[in-house]
Amino acid sequence: MSDHRARSRRVLVAALRRRPRALVAFGLWSALGAVPVLVFGRSVAGATDAFLAHRAGPALAWLGVLAGAAVVGAVGAARAYGPLAAVVEPFRDALVRHVVRGAVHESVRTERADDGAVARLTQQVEIVRDTFAGLLNIVQGFVFTLAGALVGLLTLMPVTLLLVVPPVVAGLGLFLGLVGRSIRRQRELILAEERIAESATALAGGLRDIAACGAEDAVAASAGRLIDAQAAAARSMARLAAGRTVALAVGGRLPLLLVLGAAPWLVRHGATPGVVLGSLTYVLQGLSPALATIIRGVGGSGLRLAVTLDRVMSAAGTPPAPYPARSGGSELALRRVTFAYGPEAEPVVDALSLRVPDGDHLAIVGPSGIGKSTLSRLAVGLLTPAHGSVTLGGVPAAEADPSVRALIPQEAYVFGGTLRENLSYLRPGASDHALDRAVAAVGAGPLAERLGGLDGTVDPAALSAGERQLVALARAYVSPARLVILDEATCHLDAAAEERAERAFAARPGALMVIAHRMTSARRARRILVLDGTRAWLGAHEDLLEDCPLYRELHGHWTTEGRAPAVR
Amino acid sequence: MTASRLVIRTVRYGGVWASLLAVTSLLQAGAALVLPAVLGRAVDGVLGGSTSLTWPLVYAGLVAISMTGDALTELSTGAGTAVATARLRHLFTRHVLGLGPSAGLPPGDLTSRAVTATADTAYAPSAAILAATAVVPPLGGVIALVLLDPWLALTFALGLPAIVALLRSFVRDTSAVVGRYLEAQSRIATRLVETLAGSRTVAAAGAAERETERVLAPLPELSAQGHATWRIQATTAGRSTLAVPFLQLAVLAVAGYELAHGRLTAGGLLAGAQYAGLGSDIGPVIAQLGRLARARAGAARLAPVLDRPMSAYGPGSLPGGPGRLEFRGVSAASVLDGVNLVVPGGGAVAVVGRSGGGKSLLAALAGRLADPDDGEVLLDGVPLPSLKHAELREAVGYAFARPALFGDTIAEAIGGDAETAARAACADAFIRRLPLGYRTPPSEAPLSGGELQRLGLARAFAHPGRVLVLDDATSSLDTVTETQVGDVLTRDGRTRLIIAHRVGTAARADLVAWLDGGTVRACAPHRELWSDPEYREVFGE
Repeated sequence: MSDHRARSRRVLVAALRRRPRALVAFGLWSALGAVPVLVFGRSVAGATDAFLAHRAGPALAWLGVLAGAAVVGAVGAARAYGPLAAVVEPFRDALVRHVVRGAVHESVRTERADDGAVARLTQQVEIVRDTFAGLLNIVQGFVFTLAGALVGLLTLMPVTLLLVVPPVVAGLGLFLGLVGRSIRRQRELILAEERIAESATALAGGLRDIAACGAEDAVAASAGRLIDAQAAAARSMARLAAGRTVALAVGGRLPLLLVLGAAPWLVRHGATPGVVLGSLTYVLQGLSPALATIIRGVGGSGLRLAVTLDRVMSAAGTPPAPYPARSGGSELALRRVTFAYGPEAEPVVDALSLRVPDGDHLAIVGPSGIGKSTLSRLAVGLLTPAHGSVTLGGVPAAEADPSVRALIPQEAYVFGGTLRENLSYLRPGASDHALDRAVAAVGAGPLAERLGGLDGTVDPAALSAGERQLVALARAYVSPARLVILDEATCHLDAAAEERAERAFAARPGALMVIAHRMTSARRARRILVLDGTRAWLGAHEDLLEDCPLYRELHGHWTTEGRAPAVR
Repeated sequence: MTASRLVIRTVRYGGVWASLLAVTSLLQAGAALVLPAVLGRAVDGVLGGSTSLTWPLVYAGLVAISMTGDALTELSTGAGTAVATARLRHLFTRHVLGLGPSAGLPPGDLTSRAVTATADTAYAPSAAILAATAVVPPLGGVIALVLLDPWLALTFALGLPAIVALLRSFVRDTSAVVGRYLEAQSRIATRLVETLAGSRTVAAAGAAERETERVLAPLPELSAQGHATWRIQATTAGRSTLAVPFLQLAVLAVAGYELAHGRLTAGGLLAGAQYAGLGSDIGPVIAQLGRLARARAGAARLAPVLDRPMSAYGPGSLPGGPGRLEFRGVSAASVLDGVNLVVPGGGAVAVVGRSGGGKSLLAALAGRLADPDDGEVLLDGVPLPSLKHAELREAVGYAFARPALFGDTIAEAIGGDAETAARAACADAFIRRLPLGYRTPPSEAPLSGGELQRLGLARAFAHPGRVLVLDDATSSLDTVTETQVGDVLTRDGRTRLIIAHRVGTAARADLVAWLDGGTVRACAPHRELWSDPEYREVFGE
């Protein structure tokens, strides 16, 4: 937890340091923006005294100075946005990169889509961008407005600073004392909101099941607890906000009362009506707004920045350092491999040994959930076994050059882009001829034609599950991989299309490993691996019919139900 | 209930906090209005050599009132909104649960209503009150100027339209650029969603970095549009930072002229400058009206859901019985049209028919997950709507094709004697392979469709009661597992209504109800129906 908070701070500091010149320019233009504050009280003082003395010329001159200062201030305020953008926009870019890279790597590591990533990208990063810019503006506004007012007071009547500075310092101190607690409360509030959103999502997706189980009261009660917890956190934030107004009263309003109270004494010591009015103007138009800006601003956007940046930074970790991909042959070898998903879990794969030489055609069959997909992930090094070794061409599978093998999972990956981009994904720069051949081989010809050829645009959402699988198959076919693993990669195709695709891969140079969805896939293979959780059998179809009761059972169901095809 | 009425009701949800807010914000606005005049009097007193402390003390008192009002306003705004949010969320959650599956909204939509729309609507109490009181300072400021010196008021009135025009141009200018910025952002988001959905392929191809670059390709465009938004802000900021000072300046110049001619005191000049500031302070009004509009938009999303009546349950109990389920002339959703069907107590009836023919609807009707438009469903002779909620849910258990699981652990999600039920559903073996076995949270378990289905079956097996409804609940199981589960089901003594797609499932049931054209075309054992070619066609023969 504190780790990513430290990282948040580092990221903020880095964002400021990365553009020192922009930051200096921002400061200079902002300082110019505060010129009206600096001049305001002085001009009011000069003009008032001149008006009282019936000298219209100097009075109007003082007001002219104020008008000029307003123009200068406006120019400064406008020009400050340029350097502000030069600091904020690269920071936003860095955050977007961080979120995207983190989410992609995380999903690759866990093989599960990170549901929060899009919200982080579209909402949280934007909140950080807006609040970061807001905070920079708040800080500059506070610093230069306060400085302008104090310098103005100094030129008007230095002794007033003694009345003004102590309460300002006290007010700021009070405020800073509340900041730490405010950040904690804000974080609790955001977490409470996220928990409500999670529970609402589960509830919305499970209404039928809740009704069927009669669990309405139980679900309402557990959702209700989260709702009440959020309300309690929000009330506690409201109390802190009320507390901050005390700091504002001390820092922003007490100076005014002190100057007013001391006014008779100031007048006795030579203050003109103009000087009294000017001093009050500095407090009213400079000091109080400056305090209000920083206290309300930091209490609002500052807290949101601190907490949201933490969320952005915590959710996406840094990617692991890439290992040097080593290339060897393509022979897959598993030696007494054992793998379990957790320390308490029973092993999914237990002391399994297997060799898949170049040119082999192996099918893996077994009941669903028995670990077939786990095996395919072990084979390509996405999972590391607890015991035993998995090697590809003699190199540990996790370190092997990824282009040596291709794994096509059940859920085909197709992205928005041209068909060419999608097909050459595993072999960048593949020739049109090679792509066309792959399309024809796996039976994706009609689909490619409908999409408008290789230059046609692919909209993933507009394709059926089967069409997406065809794209993924053609992509694997054209890849340089010597070992192709189809993990139920044809489950959305009909039996005839599946056969065509599988035969194309069988005829392709290299080895083919098929995790079978239908038993017919197994019949086509040279060798079949049967998994049933505790044991494994390996052999040709005829041998297995004789030796393996499970295989007989699997095969039997298929054939007896052959007249009523259980294939879905 | 219309959105406006819901907004009004929500204002009442603010309760004492809303009342407190009304008082404190009015107090605060009043104090803000009087403060400049009192300060002016106090200054005039000091400059006139008076030693009376009356006006300075009145000023100090007013400041104290104003600051107390400020603190209480913050507190009651936050607390009132929190209370109203919680009440709306409780109300909406309970109502949606009462509607059940008939809520009929996509889950994402329902979630955003339950979370965001409730929070937006809960702005209603504070926004309504603050919008009303925020009018006081600008309106009062103008009136104060008139009272102070009519020329000041006239000067102010001439300058005001410029400020209004500036505020409007800001809204117009930014929306186009912001729109383009959001487009670039959504292009990145779309690419990210695609990549995340293909994570297994990306992982296997070792292409995470390449994918990152692909997703980020529109980033330069985002950055360019981002810079454009700041340029727009710069021009409008330049104009608006000029507007208010020039207005104050004009008022000061006129005030100085009046001061020189003795028609205004020095304190009056100070007050005049401040009232000009107050008079142009219409930002809070606009902001609060914006929040009120947001509350109304939120209410417009909640009201249609809250308007739908919740299912009502009767006071009745079930007599002892075998669980005889009877559909009498049941019509529903223009799909089922006068269905008559009896599932004998303790018997198994498979329902077959074309997809879209109303099989799942029939399953839903069997346990009142939906109500028929016409006709009635009886369990052991008792119409379902007359039964108490608990009585009905106890009696009828369900398993679905894609079950949603509840609870902190798998064991909790199954309920009852989880391990026995899981063994019956062939789920025990894979549950033991999960990271924490039966204590694995369902949301963290990597489950395939078939595994999820078996957990749903286990939940149904663990459920007591006399009727079991299986809505396509074995469709993702491989044939071996399906046979094993089928054997368990055959031995189960309960009344079973089984929606089936596969021949084997139909063959194992005592009777098959063949749905066709919205009615039961035939109800007979599978082997009797099999000779009919049209029946075989249902299974794709």
